[in-house]
Amino acid sequence: MNADLEKLQESNKTELERRGSIINTGAPVTEAITIRDHIAVGFGDGTVRFFQSGSEPKVVKAHKGVVFSMARNGDYVLTGGEDGRFLKISSEGDIDEIANFGSRWVDYVASYKDFKVCSSGNTVHIWSKSKEKINSLEHQSTVGGLTFDNKGKRLAVSRYGGVTVWKQNNNKWTSSNYSWKGSHGKVTFSPDGRYLVSSMQENQIHGWRINDKADLAMSGYPAKIKSFTWVGDTPYLVTSGSSDAVCWPFDGKEGPMGRKPVCVANGGKELATFVKVLDGENAVFTGFSDGSVLLSEIDESKKPIRIRNSTGSEVTAIAVSSNREQVLIGDLQGNILISSLWADN
Amino acid sequence: MENTSQVPVTVLTGFLGAGKTTLLNRILTEQHGRKYAVIVNEFGEQGIDNDLVVDADEEVFEMNNGCICCTVRGDLIRILSGLMKRADKLDAIIVETTGLADPAPVAQTFFVDQDVADRTKLDAIVTVADAVHLSSQLTEHHEAEEQIAFADVILLNKVDLVDESGLDRVKERIKKINPFAKIINTTRCSAPLDEVVGLNAFSLDRILEVEPDFLESDHDHEHDDDVTSLSFVSDTPLDMDKFQDWFGNLLRTKGQDILRSKGILNFKGEEERYVFQGVHMLMDASPMGPWPKGKDRSSRVVFIGRDLDNMNLKEGFDNCKSA
Repeated sequence: MNADLEKLQESNKTELERRGSIINTGAPVTEAITIRDHIAVGFGDGTVRFFQSGSEPKVVKAHKGVVFSMARNGDYVLTGGEDGRFLKISSEGDIDEIANFGSRWVDYVASYKDFKVCSSGNTVHIWSKSKEKINSLEHQSTVGGLTFDNKGKRLAVSRYGGVTVWKQNNNKWTSSNYSWKGSHGKVTFSPDGRYLVSSMQENQIHGWRINDKADLAMSGYPAKIKSFTWVGDTPYLVTSGSSDAVCWPFDGKEGPMGRKPVCVANGGKELATFVKVLDGENAVFTGFSDGSVLLSEIDESKKPIRIRNSTGSEVTAIAVSSNREQVLIGDLQGNILISSLWADN
Repeated sequence: MENTSQVPVTVLTGFLGAGKTTLLNRILTEQHGRKYAVIVNEFGEQGIDNDLVVDADEEVFEMNNGCICCTVRGDLIRILSGLMKRADKLDAIIVETTGLADPAPVAQTFFVDQDVADRTKLDAIVTVADAVHLSSQLTEHHEAEEQIAFADVILLNKVDLVDESGLDRVKERIKKINPFAKIINTTRCSAPLDEVVGLNAFSLDRILEVEPDFLESDHDHEHDDDVTSLSFVSDTPLDMDKFQDWFGNLLRTKGQDILRSKGILNFKGEEERYVFQGVHMLMDASPMGPWPKGKDRSSRVVFIGRDLDNMNLKEGFDNCKSA
């Protein structure tokens, strides 16, 4: 390559691209989560890679087929895969098989302290401290998403027709239904536990106020909402599925009811495909369908910072290490950018 | 969206006992040198070679989009999206439906879900029919009729068990419901796999290739079958606004009874051919390049469905002709 061209390309790089390293793994990135100072990344070829500042990533051959879902369980990562296995993996690469459902995929996993939970088909399976399964919760249709609240008292399970919320007390699980016509996927509790929100097959998200089951319809998106994240003290629920990161305010008595969302991080003709909070800040990373990533405050008057340029492949995962030193971005073609978030002092 | 990286999906239907399992076993065991994923319902055997067997439950979801007949297969959305995260590329995906399933939700899934439409494409609906029992099944079960009506290809199986006149009768019965499907005679589903998988039957440009069928515009329809087909031809260019009004209203009000529709259209003042195809109320349409030189610019439409005689289709179509 001619030296001028090289220089030009170098100058077009973002600050984080200059500082960090770019890897092509060749397998779609499906999820990335943080385990202390490690970032664990799941891939479409069944591997889990553990990234840590200053060392080569540790590659663990975990599943045969796709790693569908990951959750942090203490110092371990839980994974569910296309091979029907539910695994607990250490950052050293030790694999413990919790369960094997054969040709039935393990679609979603979740964890809270000792609870290790996965879904396969219509059923949610629960393990606690012991290796024995302690419960199986049946649903009327295939599970579309799974999450604990911040206190580990409630487990939300989305499905066709709404969300089932299971409350547990000494492993006694009782359910209540939050209904809304249509098929529900990814699900989340607000940080204060007052709201429950799910993304739907239609281009909208649906929310319920937990205490009175009042409905909140958040619609108007041009695409399905594949990703959302809670940001700041307000807090805002920041969502993908539009050319901006669409941020719904959940403060006050009524939350977003009757209010307009704040729109930040405009991607032009690209759609936001992944959003991730920068913990401790009122700021969010927004990944787009072309692979580019913007970092923005939840403030329409502030200009976003370009973190990553286009790779031509949609952003499917963003994670920040717990010490906030490293950020990792992955896309559908397996391109990874890992970089320190702050300039060296 | 046409995209070369879209994985083709073949939908395999067929009434109970017609021989679907035989065909699936062949797909899973033959040395075809391709990588297929087969989505099945409660299928005991595992594929050998590289093939992938995925268990599914048929979960039909109603969409919340105001379209009353718009049902989709929720499990397919989940499974196809999951398969698209694989690191290795699949050559094709085959979806088996249970014997009593209505093929419409499967087909509609490819119109409704953007991720599915971006990364996969509906290749063809292939129906395995039992040459011995089809006639009685058609009389007794509307699902059997729908599976014939939706088919792009019909594998007429067990032809060794009927005599020639019996075979002619069953073919005639099929053609009355669906004159546009390709019928392949087989015993033990022994059709070459490349006549079943990778047909591109749902691609809009393929509609241009089925021209000869479109010309047989006057099928006499006796009323012993519930599902029938009708087609119309016009050498007078159509008025685009009139056509859109008529056709849009037709699908909105009668879409539940129109199982499939296809057409090539010559609009007044337009240099390009317009091609469309629909499943119930959902439709895909696109200009498809200029008309071939020296060929007649005639518009042709076809409908397969129930109660077509009461939709004033001929009158409606004729009214779209430009003055």
